[in-house]
Amino acid sequence: MDVITTRGLTKFYGKTRGVESLSMSVPAGSVYGFLGPNGAGKTTTIRCLLGMLKPTAGDAEVLGERITLDGAALRRRIGYVAGEVNLYERQTGRWHLDYVAGFRGGRGVLEAELLERFDFDPGRKVKELSKGNKQKLALILGMAHDPELLILDEPTSGLDPLNQEAVYAVIDERVAAGRTVFLSSHVLSEVERVCSRVGIIRSGRLAAEEDVRSLLGKRLRDLTVTFARPVQPALLDDVIGVDSVMVLGETQLTARIKGDAIDAVIKRLASVEISDLRISHASLEDVFLEFYRHTDADDEPRAVAGREEA
Amino acid sequence: MSWTLLRGTFTQRRTSILWYSVSLIAYSWLMTWFYPQIGGGQYADLIENMPPEMLALFGGTEVDFATLGGYFQTEYLGLMWMLIVASALIIFAGKAFAGEIGAGTMEFVLAQPISRVRFAITRVVALLIYIVVLAAASFVPIALFGPSYDINLSAAVFGKLFAFGCMFMFAVGGFSLLMSSLFRDGGRAGAITAGVMGTFWIADLVSNVSEAAEVIDPINIVTYWQPGKIINGDAVAPEAWWIYGVIGVVSLIASVLVFRRRDVA
Repeated sequence: MDVITTRGLTKFYGKTRGVESLSMSVPAGSVYGFLGPNGAGKTTTIRCLLGMLKPTAGDAEVLGERITLDGAALRRRIGYVAGEVNLYERQTGRWHLDYVAGFRGGRGVLEAELLERFDFDPGRKVKELSKGNKQKLALILGMAHDPELLILDEPTSGLDPLNQEAVYAVIDERVAAGRTVFLSSHVLSEVERVCSRVGIIRSGRLAAEEDVRSLLGKRLRDLTVTFARPVQPALLDDVIGVDSVMVLGETQLTARIKGDAIDAVIKRLASVEISDLRISHASLEDVFLEFYRHTDADDEPRAVAGREEA
Repeated sequence: MSWTLLRGTFTQRRTSILWYSVSLIAYSWLMTWFYPQIGGGQYADLIENMPPEMLALFGGTEVDFATLGGYFQTEYLGLMWMLIVASALIIFAGKAFAGEIGAGTMEFVLAQPISRVRFAITRVVALLIYIVVLAAASFVPIALFGPSYDINLSAAVFGKLFAFGCMFMFAVGGFSLLMSSLFRDGGRAGAITAGVMGTFWIADLVSNVSEAAEVIDPINIVTYWQPGKIINGDAVAPEAWWIYGVIGVVSLIASVLVFRRRDVA
């Protein structure tokens, strides 16, 4: 059973495209990653699903109900954490917890546990909280009622690595308990960490939908090696999955490594003496440009996934 | 209606509500206290020496300025009171829809299980309660402190004044709420309402000295605002009640309908 289904979902703000012809489905009990760069249309899609924006065309079903602008009963079953946390600045965290409890008819079953896990003090006013603590409060408010569907819009933005892991752990637990999570992100590593399936959105259109394992095969890494002594410039030329090799002087080399080629590269580098090595993940935009390019001719998104060069 | 939202609305606006209420109580008491000192004969002499254009500036020419009603209309209710309550209502209504959307908090509230209609109706109820609070802060001090300063309003006059004040605020507040439901920025919604009120006030002013602006009079809520007549025990034009009522009811219903269909993020 699918928890979210969209059919040609389209939202234009005047002439500006928010999202266009989006058709996708999110299976129950999964963590679905909605991946795309800033401005791709992730938040617009989520706001349409929650009935905050009226779609220009198309429709969608969430938890078996067609989305409407007035779906109060549906929202009782959904927990939502907005990408940009906007709460009442002069009120405390406790006031917000009471406020949500008032709307939902009681305190969240996970409230006390989440307060403890995120080490959050609800007695302070929102205006006194750091960005990370505001994010923690938003997460607690969204997740405390153990909803059937959790919609998280860039949920770890502003959190330190420890709290990011706490969020991922909660997500894992909720999914193990049979809940479904729809998580939007522009951070590839985050999606890889928690999601089982990924929808990739770019310029308002769904570019591809893939299993996370398939996405892992599309990792791009930028390599910079400094050798202890001069080496042959063609050292990595015949390694499959390596391109953009540039030799800087006699002792430094940069290259881009695709997918699983990292193993072969490391083994090749082991044959020479290295004084420094730096490997960084390429940006999401670079991954898009490499694997999910548009064709200008028909302006249709075209996933060229699987085109991975040998 | 949502009690949670209603409580939340007043909690969030408590400082503003408190300041406006205290200011109105103080101003009403001050004007009541001033009456024996500048009212009566001296006041009538002062008024008689003023040019009619200047008298028009302070609330039309329908009330005899030398009377108690004339004093209150000229010195308080005809201008300053209107400015105070209009700004209070514009701020309150502006935050009801547009302000919440602009601040991003609407997204948080509407992620909760509350329907838009329920949300909008609760905000209408909150506005009506606020109008009653402002009316009480404005007129109860006059009735309460009045006997100490030779001002004796009968229960009927007080009740009529209170109700007429509520109706005026109902029209202004309703229109403000409608503007708030149309925009996503509380400032812009408030500016438009303030602009309309300013236009009405200028039209009323001009119509007192020139027939050119009288064309707006039938719908000019400022022109209909003649509380001095009620204080003097006279009747205001019956259409005044109707105009205020119709503007208020139509605006509030329209604001709920508009909010029900609009994008809120």
